[in-house]
Order: sequence, then C-alpha cells, then structure tokens
Amino acid sequence: MIQLRNIRKTYGKHSVLNGINITVEKGDVIAILGPSGSGKTTLLRCINFLEHPNEGEITIGEVAVDCKHASKKDVLALRRKTAMVFQHYNLFKHKTVLQNVMEGLTVVQKMPAEEAREISLLMLAKVGLTHKADSYPSQLSGGQQQRVGIARALALNPEVILFDEPTSSLDPELVGEVLTVIQNIAQEGVTMIVVTHEMGFARDISNHIVFMEEGRIIEEGKPQDIFNAPKEERTKQFFKRFTNEWSYSI
Amino acid sequence: MQLDISFIMTAFLEILQALPLTLAITFVPLVIGFGIGIGIALIRLYEVRYIHRVAGFYVSFLRGTPLILHIYIVYLGIPMIFDRLSAHFGWGMNSSSIPLIIFIFIAFSLNAGAYMSEIIRSGILAVNKGEIEAAYSIGMTTRQAMWRIVLPQALLISLPNLCNMFIGLLHGSSLAFSISLLEINGKASIVASTNWKFVESYIAAAIIYWGLTLIAEQITGLLEKRLRTFAKGGVA
Repeated sequence: MIQLRNIRKTYGKHSVLNGINITVEKGDVIAILGPSGSGKTTLLRCINFLEHPNEGEITIGEVAVDCKHASKKDVLALRRKTAMVFQHYNLFKHKTVLQNVMEGLTVVQKMPAEEAREISLLMLAKVGLTHKADSYPSQLSGGQQQRVGIARALALNPEVILFDEPTSSLDPELVGEVLTVIQNIAQEGVTMIVVTHEMGFARDISNHIVFMEEGRIIEEGKPQDIFNAPKEERTKQFFKRFTNEWSYSI
Repeated sequence: MQLDISFIMTAFLEILQALPLTLAITFVPLVIGFGIGIGIALIRLYEVRYIHRVAGFYVSFLRGTPLILHIYIVYLGIPMIFDRLSAHFGWGMNSSSIPLIIFIFIAFSLNAGAYMSEIIRSGILAVNKGEIEAAYSIGMTTRQAMWRIVLPQALLISLPNLCNMFIGLLHGSSLAFSISLLEINGKASIVASTNWKFVESYIAAAIIYWGLTLIAEQITGLLEKRLRTFAKGGVA
C-alpha cells in the first residue's frame, strides 16, 4: 500500500503542492489528470524524491518517510520501492537496450548477471522488443524507446511504477503502441500511478482518477463517475471539452 | 646562408633520441592530471564543503599563470620545502638528489590537472540530466550514477578536448629545457649550436612534434569512432 499524507512543495514563495493526500492499494491504477501547471508531475516526482517535498509523509510498503527530515537512506529506500517511466524516456544512451534493462538488477539489486539477463529478456518480450536487445537507444523510434523505459521499470519489480506523461513527447502514430503496453501491464495487476493527458486512456485503464488544479486535489473517484458525472464546477468544465470531442468524432 | 637539406635528416635522427623523454613528460602529467582533473571537477560540481573553494582557487590560479612560471616555482620552491623538512625530520637527504624530471612531472601535472578539471566538468554538465534522474529512479546512489552513467558519457564528450590537452602538453614539454632537461627541443638546441645549423635542427624538431600531433589526432579519431557506436542510427 502507498500512502501520501499532506504532501507540500514550494519553490521559494510559489506553492506547487498544497497538502496532497492519496492512498493507493496494491493493484490500483491511479490516473492523475489536470491542466498544465497543476502540480501533477511535481507530485509524481515527489514520490521518489526527484523533487524533495517540503512537508508530508510518504509510506510505501514498510518504508515510511517523513519528508521534512528525510535522510539519504530514506530517499534510497523509497527509490528502491518505486520505478519511473519518463516523458523523454531517459534511457542510458551509452548502453544497449538489454543493458538498460539489466542495469538496475545488477547494480542496484546486486543480482547475478545471468539471472538479470533472463529477467530482462522476459521484460523485453513483454514490451515486444526482444529483437532490439542489442540495439542502442539512438537506433530506436520514440515509441520503442519508451517501451524499453517501461521494461526497465518493470524489471525492478517495484511496488509501484510512476508514469510521467509517458506519451506526451511521442508522434501521434506511436502513442498507440505505448498505451497498449501500459494497458497490458495494468491488467497483470502492477500498481501504477499515471500522469497523463490521454483522457480516453486514463478512463479505460484506471480504477481511480485524481483531478488536480493549483496544487490541490479538486475531485477524485471512479473513472465513470468523474467522466460522466463530475461534481465540482472546475471538473465539469475540464471534462466538457473532452466529452465534446468524443461526440464530434462519431 | 644556404639551407642544408641533408642535415635535417641527420639532425632528425639525433633529436629523435630525446623522444622517450618528451613522451614521458607528456604522458605522465596527462595521466596524473587526468586523475586530479576528475577529482577537482567532482569536488567543484558537488560543492564539497570548504575544499571546493580551495579547488576553485587552484583552477583559477593555475589557469591564470603561465606554465613556465609553474616550472620555476616548483623547481625553486619544492627544494626549499624539502630541505627544511629533511633537516627537521632528519631524512639525511638533500634536495639536490631529486631528479630534475620529478619537478617537471609535478609542475606539468598540476598545470594539466587544472585545465582537465574544466574539460571534464563541462563534459559532466553536458550529460543529459534526465539520464541522471533515471539512474536515481532505479535506486542508484549518487556514486553509482556518477561512475556508471555520467562519467563514461562525460569522458566521451570530453575526448576531443582531452586530445587538445595532450597536444598542449606535448608542445609544452619543450619548456622542460628551461631547467635543462634534454627533451626534443633541448636536444635540437644542442644539435643546432654544436653544428652551427640552427634552422635545420629546429625544422627537424618541428617535424617530430608535428608527426606526434598527427598520430595523436588519428588515435583520437579512431577512439571516438569506436566508442561512439551507440550514437549511430540517427533516429531521434
């Protein structure tokens, strides 16, 4: 179980997160939606301390960290419980696809190379890239790179995978392949927190939607409730555009 | 005065005897300076408490003064310190027993370290920040991320500049003659004045330096090509 309690983050005087509370159960797929600048990505990056929250408490499994007094050891412990998929993939450019996926297993989890290799190849098979194992990231398309990023995260077998706008920098044509892969993993019961602008995707894969604006959670609930019958005025306004788009496309 | 073409060849062969010394004066400081450079670059990047100021001063001072001065200060200063320490601790040794080349190694290494720290620092800064975040996200420590992800890429980025550094040191090694070490330039001066053939001797020396530089460029080119296999492809 993952618990975020009263997470606050400020940059100087500018307050980005104003006390966020979220509980994620094992197997949950949480989608965080909201307009640009609402703090979605910052929240996600606070969970693995790529941004240091100023206040709050993060609990992942048996690791509980008081953000204000987080030590290096705490941060490392949180990072070893999580994995992240980035908007810009962030693969290690000087390593092959297979090495990218193995890196965390051999270096961080100290797994013997042979075992790490097996697991990594299994993960690459899951994202459909076994044939690219010996390629370098620069030889792959954006969609393929992102799938490697997903395999890298999956290999670690983390408590939760954090997706930071995984399709935002992809060609429209390549979005589909990445979404399909994420959907497949979601069905396997991997716990995920997904920040995305793909509304339809969020609705289809998540079992809980969090709508944020200005560093606050405005509304949250089951996808069908949020999409079809939002309670808050701001949420209605936000999803109106989306539902309209759908009616146009028919 | 007529140019004695054939003497250039004679001088060339004679001066070539000084090649090992020149190479030693180039390579030893290159290696030591590289170590110093990485250390200083990391200290300055991570702003290690107190010592990063010392490191900053070191780089600023060494880059702000000419190499020939470093040679003089080391050559004249170290014996003073050495003799005083020797007297104090009763080592029973005199600074005159220190081989000349040691002073050159020290002066050149300090000089090269200052320049290389800046080369390596800029290389480290050029590595994609996202990859460092990715390294952290899979649970690597700062040290693991630095050694496994950042430095290999940073050094590759720095390779052309490090090659320049090598060339600079190679040519700088001619200053070792100022404390009467007979490297290529020194040897050329001797050959020149004993035979009264100055231009010929110096042309011969120039050819040797140039040849070494060409070889260095070739090796760097090959190295870059080999190590850069991962950058092939071209799909963004």
